[in-house]
Amino acid sequence: MTVAETTRAERGPVLALRSTSAGRRWRVARGTRRVPFLFAVPSIVGLMLLMVYPTVYLLGLAFTESNLARPLQRWTGITNFTDALRSTAFPGSIGRSVVFAAAATVLVVVVGTALALLLRARGDRLGVLGVVLLLPLVTPPVMVGVAWKLMLAPVGGAFAGIWSRVGLDGFNPLGSSTGAFLTLLLIYTWQWMPLVTILVFAALLDVPRDLVEAAQLDGAGRISVFRHVVWPAIRTSVWAVLVLALVLGFKVFDLVVVVTSGGPGFSTMLSSFFIYRTGLQNSYEIGVASAATVIFVAVVSAVMAIVGIARKRAVAES
Amino acid sequence: MSRLSTIVRPLGLRLVLLLIGLVVTLPLLFLVSLSLRSPDDVQNGGWIPTRFVWANFSNAFDTIPLATMARNSWIVAVGAALLTVVIAVPAAYFAARAPSGQRLSGVLLGSYCAPPVAALLPLYYLFKDAGLTNNVLGLILVDGLATVPVAVWLLEGFVRRIPEEIEEAAWLDGLSAGATLRRIVVPLIASGIVAVGLISLFLSYNEFLFAVSFSQRTDSQTLTVGLSLFQGDHTIQYGQQAAASLIGVVPMYVLAVLAQRWLVAGLTAGGVK
Repeated sequence: MTVAETTRAERGPVLALRSTSAGRRWRVARGTRRVPFLFAVPSIVGLMLLMVYPTVYLLGLAFTESNLARPLQRWTGITNFTDALRSTAFPGSIGRSVVFAAAATVLVVVVGTALALLLRARGDRLGVLGVVLLLPLVTPPVMVGVAWKLMLAPVGGAFAGIWSRVGLDGFNPLGSSTGAFLTLLLIYTWQWMPLVTILVFAALLDVPRDLVEAAQLDGAGRISVFRHVVWPAIRTSVWAVLVLALVLGFKVFDLVVVVTSGGPGFSTMLSSFFIYRTGLQNSYEIGVASAATVIFVAVVSAVMAIVGIARKRAVAES
Repeated sequence: MSRLSTIVRPLGLRLVLLLIGLVVTLPLLFLVSLSLRSPDDVQNGGWIPTRFVWANFSNAFDTIPLATMARNSWIVAVGAALLTVVIAVPAAYFAARAPSGQRLSGVLLGSYCAPPVAALLPLYYLFKDAGLTNNVLGLILVDGLATVPVAVWLLEGFVRRIPEEIEEAAWLDGLSAGATLRRIVVPLIASGIVAVGLISLFLSYNEFLFAVSFSQRTDSQTLTVGLSLFQGDHTIQYGQQAAASLIGVVPMYVLAVLAQRWLVAGLTAGGVK
């Protein structure tokens, strides 16, 4: 900000010299804002290809019968929707996806923010930990899944030996429904918590130091300083990060494939994995998978809308 | 904040941070350990290899076509990164400076919120008809385009930090919009472009959903697909699986460490504020 302002101050006289008449100044000011629409066209074409076309086509697939070789064979009305909702795996997968995304978001935001506060207390640079924190972020989720699955293996894993030495037996967190779901959450948190830490840390750097010191001089405790000085300054950023985390939480697919394949039972069957399995892997029921996709996207949109409203309210209040 | 550092004993803080560093690197260290062990040694379930074995690295190349997959991953990642940058730079300039720019970035960000699985089946048919399944070009296209919203969002922050007077001066000197973008804006946001290109590279290298759905033949499959093909239930392959994972991820770590400054600046420069 300060750099920009300095530059502005330096450039000011030059511009004033050049645009002596008011008319010219007006033309320049307006001219700058005429960034041609052409610049936006490639991104809009991309949006058409990746968003608009698939949405329209998806609705077509959801109301018709298709096979892998030939789409849109026969109009079937809402049969695909009723089939999806009556299937054993799909309705539960929706609830599970929402719970997973919500829990994962709360986990990464709370733990990530706490770590950012801790790091900020240490100084204004991330140092070596900044490099370490980047590693999970650039690791392919498939590989994260592989690494954790190997670590948690009942035989040859990292913890099974320690587990039995302590006198417990049957170490297999992926063997039970609750264990598998919680394990996925843990792995997800390992991968994405660093992103929250990096972003919130950057926001913390902008908290005015003299304000914090003034509050401390007035005798405010640590919690009080956080609530009244730090939090108002980083609230907008944390909410933005929270929305981002929620988006990422609904995208989870790779981890399920590699770590649990949706099991045991359907305990980790998230909607994205159900859609992939139904459409392209097991039964090739394109229609049912498409109807499931429509329902899933509707639910995700509803959740995002609710969180969006909550965010607007929270950011607006002051 | 400054008092916080005197309240929390620096030693305790350092210990906590050390612990966090350990938790973050634990799975990676375990992969290294596994990759250096023989199948028998893996069964023991210890942490340190009793004897270093290098065979896993060469054997992994026989179990899956690792070299081909690594090549495919790099082609897809670099191609997608270039595509993202070429599309996102002018779009970010438009988003930051045009009157309707906010609408563009809003729509793009909205599209990013949709789960990618929503486009899976429609794009499958489209790509099949266009000959883009079993083809790295198809993955470059979908990965490159999928990263555009994030890239525009981040680059917008960089463009906004350029004083508008600089562009005004360029206009005054008779530069066209295209020339202003190329000769004034691009050099000023170069660090942001590098960051966004790298982020797109990482995301595309890591992509799995479209890669596994659109490529059934090994000649176009990427590393992430190859790694998912290992049957993790046989301890005999743990070492190989770990070795293959490391072969895939170590170049990315080197890149991330080298470009750390750009990456962190890029991630934090965007609209999170």
